[in-house]
Amino acid sequence: MKFIINREQFLPPLQQIVAVIEKKQTMPILSNVLLVLTENNLVLTGTDLEIQLVASMPIENKDFARITVPARKLLDICKLLPNDAEIKFEQQNDKVRIISGRGRFSLSTLPAEDYPEFSESAVEHQFSIHAGNLKKALEKTVFCMANQDFRYYLNGLMLNISNSRIKLVASDGHRLSVFEDALETAVGYEARIIIPRKGVVELGRMLDDSDLDVAVDFSSNNIRITLPNLVFSAKLVDARYPDFNRVFQQDFNEPVLISRQLLKDALARVAILSNEKFKGVSFDISESSLKISTHNPEHEEAEEELSIEYQGEPLTIAFNVQYLIDAVTNLDSEDVILTIASNQSSCIVEEPVSQAYKFIVMPMRL
Amino acid sequence: MENARKIIHIDMDAFFAAVEQRDFPDLRNKPLIVGGLPDTRGVVATCSYEARKYGIHSAMPSAHAARLCPAAVFVKPRFEAYREASAQIRKIFTGYTDLIEPPSLDEAYLDVSGSAACQGSATLIAQDIQQKIRQQTELTASAGVSYNKFLAKIASDINKPNGLYVIRPELGTQFIEALPIGKFHGVGKATEKKMQALGIFTGKDLKRLSLALLQHYFGKSGLHYYNICRGTDPRPVNNHRTRKSIGIETTFQKDIDCHDSAMTQLLALLNKALDKTACQKLLAHTLTVKIKYHDFVQITRSRTLQEPITNRINGLWLLNDLLKNTETGTRRIRLLGVSLSSLTSATPIDHPQLDLFENFDGQNT
Repeated sequence: MKFIINREQFLPPLQQIVAVIEKKQTMPILSNVLLVLTENNLVLTGTDLEIQLVASMPIENKDFARITVPARKLLDICKLLPNDAEIKFEQQNDKVRIISGRGRFSLSTLPAEDYPEFSESAVEHQFSIHAGNLKKALEKTVFCMANQDFRYYLNGLMLNISNSRIKLVASDGHRLSVFEDALETAVGYEARIIIPRKGVVELGRMLDDSDLDVAVDFSSNNIRITLPNLVFSAKLVDARYPDFNRVFQQDFNEPVLISRQLLKDALARVAILSNEKFKGVSFDISESSLKISTHNPEHEEAEEELSIEYQGEPLTIAFNVQYLIDAVTNLDSEDVILTIASNQSSCIVEEPVSQAYKFIVMPMRL
Repeated sequence: MENARKIIHIDMDAFFAAVEQRDFPDLRNKPLIVGGLPDTRGVVATCSYEARKYGIHSAMPSAHAARLCPAAVFVKPRFEAYREASAQIRKIFTGYTDLIEPPSLDEAYLDVSGSAACQGSATLIAQDIQQKIRQQTELTASAGVSYNKFLAKIASDINKPNGLYVIRPELGTQFIEALPIGKFHGVGKATEKKMQALGIFTGKDLKRLSLALLQHYFGKSGLHYYNICRGTDPRPVNNHRTRKSIGIETTFQKDIDCHDSAMTQLLALLNKALDKTACQKLLAHTLTVKIKYHDFVQITRSRTLQEPITNRINGLWLLNDLLKNTETGTRRIRLLGVSLSSLTSATPIDHPQLDLFENFDGQNT
């Protein structure tokens, strides 16, 4: 095996692949990246057996070869080479030599035959979406995903395809975000899958803002997303996502209409003096006025008053201020609407016109 | 060395074995081993001085000890009796100082810098304590006296059993320079080997290395080694030491070779550890699983959660998740352990966050 590649061409895909590889491994070969050379093509593969990333790039080459080398060491070497460096790879027995400028490195290898196959079941459904649209939908929801929650289905993102609509849902149990978008082409089926957290995070990194189409194939066990030169695969979370639609079937109070920017600024100021750990703030809602207040164990206090449009009964409710800040920061409209069922139940935060993007935020018990 | 502290380290001689020999005269003058029985996988907790002549020491597998000394008598530990004796000894200490740190049942550090007893002589206080322990418990203790904890502990070991050794501040440097590297506080077997490979065999050798170099080789511990070989050990005698972790482990009579029985064992250990945590009104946020495979290769896996670990379902989920990245089920397991750490006090929350999916189980139908 022998090939030469430019650092700038090699580094970005290698970085993406190393992000997938777990640091602690029971199988040593999983710390390695698989290099496959075919005619004028180099393919890199990395996996943790839950997700897999395959990147291909054109090179000038004639022979066929397959080998695995320690991924993180390879990345660290390439990262520290100068910009635009030409990197030469050469297999010598059970070592891969890397030569660049006056640097010589010899990396250990493991045989490519031992590299585990990423098992995927047959594709059941497909759709396609602009990379930029998918990226935006992810950015609007991923921060609500749980992290290491024992309810493992929350450590992921729910993707719901319903004919010509795509819906992304993420929740940590305390708040939930729903982002809906239209698909260019109706698909004629309805499906719900849960993509695991790590896969969602990697996927977000791979996508750019372009309107290039990405192809999404999935079955009930796995998903594969194909970009030019990059294929992402992930095992899906084997669970049912909770039915959050029940939240909308309650009796609600009158909606509260507030200027989004004013609310955001007031929340940010009040948050400073909230309890560092629990972040609780109280909302006292009365006709035409919202009072936001908090205090902390050091007996410091904050209070802000905003004018609102509200026609219902006076109401007091408490929230984790961070959840509200996240919601009003991500919504795009001039004003936002808060619709509260009761101070023991849920609050919906959404845009006044569009129904495409909304949050459910659970209160704190008073 | 102005304002030198006066630290005493009291170390009971073959504590568990001595209590047994005191309570059961038949066991006196015999090679006695307290710990696991020789036909089990248990280890020696403590052995009498008669047994030590055969090369037996604590933490050695009991079966191995029985081979070294077939005549040895084995008894199971009676922790209740040891705790009682330990409490008696601690009561003696309180007559001299309030600054008492008992790292375990059979040893304690005392800071007697401010003590007026025995005209303020730490050496006389140590002798006095040794005598009182002998009178009140019929057990013997060794004492070490010096100006920091590290040296006091080393001193108590020098004239064991029933001995006393004093390392005076003016002789500290000389003493430390001659000390073999393995005796230094914080230098275990692995570090000892690493240091020897670097040509460090004594305190004098260690002193030659710059702080930067020590930090390069030993990371965070570098500063500690740098200080300690210069006689600098500022650790106070801490009388309100809070527990950092609560752990339990168990060695199996037969290796475990299936995932499910490993899970069952771990769950039982976790529940015990959680009970202990709850008893102390604490909440743990980190769970660590320790696995020793049949060939004594040992690994740990740990995970920290934002919310506390409770015996509700998140413990089970965590254990399952931690085992994923191990060879449980494929490589035989000899020992399993569970440890809870990142402990915080369990105070009730005034305004708990409500949950969207209180009673949802997520089972795929």
